[in-house]
Parts: sequence; structure tokens; C-alpha cells
Amino acid sequence: MDRRAFLTTLAGTSLAAITPEAVLAASAAANPAWALAVGDIEADLAPRGLRLIHGRAPKGLAGTLYRNGPAKFRRGPGAPAHWFDGDGLVRAFRIGDGKASLAGKFVDTFKRRQDAKFGALVGPGFAATATAGATVRNSDDSNAANTALLPIGGELLALWEQGSPIALDLETLATKGPKTYAPDLAHMPFLAHPRIEPNGRVWNLGVAGHRALVWTLKADGSLEKTGMLELPRASYIHDFTATARSLVIVLQPWIQDKPVQPFAASMSWRPELGTQVLVVDKNDFSKRRLYDLPAFFAFHLGDAWEEADGTIRFDACTEADASFAARGGSQITALKMPDTQVTRLSFITLDADGKGSLEVTALPAEFPKTDPRFAGHGRMKTMVNTVGGGPAKPFLQGVAVSDWRTGKADVFDFGPDHCAEEHLFAPRPGSSRELDGWLVGTSLNLKARATELHVFDASRVSSGPLCSWRADVPLPVGFHGCWV
Amino acid sequence: MFNRSAHALLAACLLTAIAVVNAPHAEAQEPGEVSVTFSGITAPKGALFVGLYDSEAAFAGGQPAQGYQLAVTGPSVATAIKGLKPGRYAIKVYHDIDGDGRMNTNAFGIPTEPYAASNNAPSTMGPPAWADAVFEVGADGATQTIGID
Ligand SMILES: [Fe+2]
Repeated sequence: MDRRAFLTTLAGTSLAAITPEAVLAASAAANPAWALAVGDIEADLAPRGLRLIHGRAPKGLAGTLYRNGPAKFRRGPGAPAHWFDGDGLVRAFRIGDGKASLAGKFVDTFKRRQDAKFGALVGPGFAATATAGATVRNSDDSNAANTALLPIGGELLALWEQGSPIALDLETLATKGPKTYAPDLAHMPFLAHPRIEPNGRVWNLGVAGHRALVWTLKADGSLEKTGMLELPRASYIHDFTATARSLVIVLQPWIQDKPVQPFAASMSWRPELGTQVLVVDKNDFSKRRLYDLPAFFAFHLGDAWEEADGTIRFDACTEADASFAARGGSQITALKMPDTQVTRLSFITLDADGKGSLEVTALPAEFPKTDPRFAGHGRMKTMVNTVGGGPAKPFLQGVAVSDWRTGKADVFDFGPDHCAEEHLFAPRPGSSRELDGWLVGTSLNLKARATELHVFDASRVSSGPLCSWRADVPLPVGFHGCWV
Repeated sequence: MFNRSAHALLAACLLTAIAVVNAPHAEAQEPGEVSVTFSGITAPKGALFVGLYDSEAAFAGGQPAQGYQLAVTGPSVATAIKGLKPGRYAIKVYHDIDGDGRMNTNAFGIPTEPYAASNNAPSTMGPPAWADAVFEVGADGATQTIGID
């Protein structure tokens, strides 16, 4: 079209229709109300105070809520591939003397540096294919360090799934670099969901197809041992659980059966195979039992325990299939409503006689957490995000404590303006009773365009937060954290 | 997420140590001379195993036309490869940090010792490509600075 034709065309449309309101309405239609939840953060967050907007901080509560999650998704011409492929931003919410503050730093990964140098998303990821010319010599060259945090050995480890933990300074959040526990363990995968015994010993898996490296770290953060575990199928494993005696590995029927890139495209949903659970003795990997359950998909599990008669119990946040992992996470960063169903809290029981059962409850639930002092042992309570997740907004907006004994949940709903994030347990000083203390967690307030920090009495969640603070910035919805 | 077979191929392409050539970096090159500097070394120990290849097939997994073992004592190593016929060449190098004479991999087949190629040809989930690594040696020789860390 030449310039004259262009001008004629423009004149033919009614310029009067281009009002600020019309422009706003058009951009609102393009960007859903929850777009902030997957917005880009461009720079580190200098330490700043948070404004108390409700209540008063409980006496005795002091510590830091560290949280991790992807916060830089878009660079250059291409569209982001998946929610899981953004750069990890580590946030420190510090609480003490009734006040709260926030600081944040991106993990200084090879991936982030390389993407910045190219001015584009060039590395491979969960659903991203490597661009020709990108340097990807090993798994840590694509490590986004964006999923979880493990405080151990005087450091904060930023965890991904397919590569090494990346060590950060607990105070400054400055990146020290990837952890290599031994030369032959360089670039080995390390899941974002280690299981921590109450004595501080850490168990974790690093998964590649049919094989899993079993990591054991001492409470001081040094390597105790590793071992190799053969798996009956090449399931996608994001999380596993453990009792005091056993590793409990859920093998869902999202199975790697195609040698193609990217990772998500190498997997197939095979519901006819059902979900299996492999139980392995921590001290003797040859002692193993395999349970069959109906097909389900789960990212996250609760801590497991074993009863006197050998029955193993744990909870899981289950969905009907792998559509969120396969497609939903890509739709979210494209600001489209994902075609996925609600994730629900489920109870799984593995009988000593080899029979397994799955009970799916009505409670929408994700990000299950428990009192860490009871990990691997009998417990009754599970904290989750809940309420919502329906067609209006692909994020949950409430928080709950669910009780195994009563089957009831103590729920608080932040309301439709909020995207709730993982809440963690902070024990009341001097008490050792399960979940006697506070829930500490965050939400993204879409209306106020700000991230908020909340504290609940763990025994009265439905009464609402004891106090809430508001930051001067909206941070995208993150994944996992820790309370130190 | 990672292409293991491609890396196994790279690791299998062991370079035979032929001679230790630790010549200083030449200021002015003689005809048929390639002046090479390996830089960015983070573990100042062990040796670089360097292969010079004169064909795409050899580069992809065959024998190098010439091989060198260069001791590492600092952040960079310089050498000069002399007496080359004019033509097209490419270099592959790995850093044998632990001195066991092979390029180590972890239990899942991922290289655990640094490697690189001429022109700093990228390794994109597999070995560097000949097309990216190839360089011309003419009457004035050639110069290569290869980062390896
Ligand atoms: Fe997770």
C-alpha cells in the first residue's frame, strides 16, 4: 500500500472512534485482568519497607519468607514458551519487630546472561526449543533456577529441576554459582522438591527417563551419598514424597516416549497405563513395592507417613490429565485462559497388602505444605491454596488448612482480585504441637496492582489474616519458598 | 531435556596425545601457521587435549590430522600450529582437569569437563558443527582465540 492509499484508508475510518476509552477497552480485551500474574520484572528490587494495611504482626513472629518464581518471560521477537521457562526472581520478605520489608534479586544464571546478550529467548526449556547459535553445553546452561529454595549449609539454594542447585547468599541474595557436590555429579538434575527429615537430612531425586539419581545431603548441606534408582517408566516427576523409612515416587502416565525437543513435546499422556506409585526403602533400593492407582496427574504431593501396620498415607493435588503442563503453562504466558481443569486435594492410601486407593475431595487445592517438624511422620494437617481457579482467572485466590481426621477445611478467600501464592508454616516459639503457629504467605492483589504479605493464625484461617502488608510493586505469581 | 547421544559421541571422540607443544604466542605468523590462544580457563590444572581436523567427517567423529596435549597452569594457554598446507581446518578442545586422559561425563552422559571449538562455535545441545568451526588457513596463516570454561 502506498502512502496515499494508506491516508485514504485512514480517512475512510471514523477517527472519532479512537477515544482513550476505546483504546483502553481494546487493550483490556487483549490483556486479561490477571496479566500481572505473568508480567515481566525488569530489574532487581532494592530493599524497601512494606506498608501495613491491616491488623498487627503477632508477637514472637520473626524470620524471612524467601520465595522463588519466574519473573522475566519476554525478550525480543519471540513469544515466551511456557510459564516454567521464565528467569527465577528470588524474593526475601523479612518480618521482625512488627515490621516487614521486601528485597528481590534475579538468579544470575548462564541462561539469563545468554538471553540478555542475544536480546531474545534462545535457550531450551520446559517448552522452549534452543535457537541455533545458542550455547547449551550441559543442563546448567539452560538452568532457569526459578522453582524453589532450599536453605542449607548457610546458603540459599535456588532449585530448578533438570540441573544443579544454584547457591545464593542468604543476606544479599547474590548468586555464588551452581553447586557441584563432586566432579562426577556436575550438571546432574536435582528436583525442586527435596524432602527434609525433621533431623535436617535431605533426600532428593534427579530424573532422566527411566533412571533417578537419589541424592542424600547431611543437615549441614554437605553430600552424604548418592545412589541410582531404575524406574519402571519414564514418567514426568516434579515432586516425590517420603516417609521416615521410604521414598514414595508417584509415576504418572505422562511419559517420555519421543526423542524430540522441547521437553514437553517428548511426553505423551497415556491414561490407559494408570498412575503407579513406587515405594523404595531408603536404606536398600532393592526393597521396592509398586502400587497401581487410577490415572491422574499431580505436580505436588504432601509429606507421607507410614502407620504401624505398614499403611502409607499422603496427600496430592491431582488433576485429570497433563493438559496444564503440556499446554496450559504456555497459554498463561500468552495471556490466554488455559484449557485445564481445577486441581483438587486428594488422599492416597497404600495398604501393606499391596492395594492402593485414591480419594479425590471437592476442595480445589495447589501448593500443599505441611508442618516440617512432622515430615515423614503421622500428621493431620495440610496447608493449601484454594478457592477459584475457574474460567475467570487461572489462579487460586484463597488459603486453607485441611484436616485429614475430619476431612474439613478451614478456608479464607482473599476474593476475586487476588492470586494466592504458597503459604508456609512458622511455628509459635516454645510450642511443638502440629501447626501451632502461623501461616505466612503472599498474594498478588490485581486491583491494587501490588504484592501483599499475610500472616494467619494457623488454627483460625477462616478469621482472615492477623495482619497484611502491601508492597509498592506487583510481582508475578511465584512457585515455592521457605521460612527461615 | 538434553540430547545425551550427541554428547556421548563427542566424549567418544577421544583425542590421542601426540606431542606437548607449548610454544609461546607468535607475534608474526609464518605461512601455514595457526596461532591459537585458549582463554577463560577456570581450573588452572590438568591439560588441554586439542584436535586439529581437516575434514567435516573427521571433525564429526574421526581422527584429528594433528593432536596436542597442552599443560594448563593458568587462565590461558597459547600455542602455534606450524607447517600447515593452505586449506580449511577446525579445532576441537577439551580440558582434562583431573588428568585421567579422557573427557569425563556424569551418570547421565553429560560432559563434566569444559570443551570448545574454533571460532567459539556454539554447542547447542550437541557437538559444535563443522560449518560453525571451520576456518581458512592461507598464505598469512590464521589466528584463533577460543574461550573454554
Ligand atoms: Fe513445584
